[in-house]
Amino acid sequence: MPNISQPQRQDEPAVTDADLASLLAGTTDAVPGLRPVADVLAALTAEATGMELAGEARALAEFRRRAGAPVPAKRARRSTAGLTSRLWVKVGASVAAVVVVLGGGVAAAFAGVLPTSFQRLAHEVIGAPMPPAPHDLPHRGRSAAHGQVVHGQPAVHGKPAASGGHGAKRQVRPHATPAPTAQGNPHAQGGQGNPHGQQGQGSGQGHQGSGQGQGNRHKQGNGQGQQSAGPHGPGQQGNPQNKGPNGSQQANRRAAGHPGRSVGTRPARDP
Amino acid sequence: MIGEEFADLLAAAQGGGEAAFSRLWRNANPALLRYLRVTAPGAEEDIAAETWVHVVRGLASFRGDEQAWRAWLFTTARRRTIDLARHRSRRPEAALDDITAAQLPSSADSAEAAMENLGTAAAIALLAGLPRMQAEVILLRVVAGLDTESVARMLCKSPGAVRVAAHRGLRRLAQITADAGVTL
Repeated sequence: MPNISQPQRQDEPAVTDADLASLLAGTTDAVPGLRPVADVLAALTAEATGMELAGEARALAEFRRRAGAPVPAKRARRSTAGLTSRLWVKVGASVAAVVVVLGGGVAAAFAGVLPTSFQRLAHEVIGAPMPPAPHDLPHRGRSAAHGQVVHGQPAVHGKPAASGGHGAKRQVRPHATPAPTAQGNPHAQGGQGNPHGQQGQGSGQGHQGSGQGQGNRHKQGNGQGQQSAGPHGPGQQGNPQNKGPNGSQQANRRAAGHPGRSVGTRPARDP
Repeated sequence: MIGEEFADLLAAAQGGGEAAFSRLWRNANPALLRYLRVTAPGAEEDIAAETWVHVVRGLASFRGDEQAWRAWLFTTARRRTIDLARHRSRRPEAALDDITAAQLPSSADSAEAAMENLGTAAAIALLAGLPRMQAEVILLRVVAGLDTESVARMLCKSPGAVRVAAHRGLRRLAQITADAGVTL
């Protein structure tokens, strides 16, 4: 196998890092191999030519324009204006943030999605809807969804007349024997309570009757109570209607203990 | 480099002294142009003018010694160069006939040009034949007069990387001059 040696280039300078560092530092006594490089670097730092100084007038004009005597006054005015504008930006941003937060809060309050305590506060302050009572919640969901019949306990579902039942008058015929709470009493109408205008139905069947009711708890409501059946005849049917926050009520009820006999309630209003 | 007078000149220029600013400009502008002839050939005059406009704007708030002054100046020029390169890459507009000899890529012909003993221009042409990083480091160290740490901060490199690039560039320069028999 031939042994081909790589010949050392005769013109390759043998330089060390120290030589290069001294070269960069501008030391003139460079090693012989670096002499041309030292000349190149010296040429780079040679005296300025006329072309390289040709732009002096332009630079000085810019300097006069920007760094002259009038500049501090301009700068002072500009800084004052800048402060003022920045202040207005901050004030505007703060006002916008407050408006957004308050608007969102009011919207949430009227949508009834605030937590109970906040909803109650909103109700007192800005007249937002009242939060639902805790015992309304399971009833509302159940009756509105399925209209379940609860045997013997229609009064449990009689919450809808909570606002409309005040002062309701009822007439009960002696022979009508529906479940007592179902007789024209909005509280007993197996109904539902919906604080926000939702509707639901519930029916109750008591001892000898059944009840149905609809009620709207706050603003406007109507209720229907119906009771019938039993060995002694149809029970009672009523339509309580509530209007207004205090729940004026109208209820029409019919009931019959025996065939042809009925028990009803007359429309009544809250005091 | 100005030396001990620099602080007084800077204070005078910041106070609006035209003569002081002129002295600062005459001291720094030739080096700036030589640096830009390698890094932004063909646009050195415009970039230098933009650099001085920026420097004049910020002169009142500048604080530092001569090294910091030169570092600020060349950093500003370097940023303008990068901006110009980006602009040109988005909107290439030079026709082939319009490209001057100075804008042509440097090669071994630069060594031949240097042989004609053209002084500073030939030296710049030789530097332009080096890889960009090596040429820039040598220019900033030699022409701008910045130390290794300042160059490293400017180029976002470590001082060791700057040192290595400088030495490689000098070795390559020595090789080129030896091959071509350059005498300036």
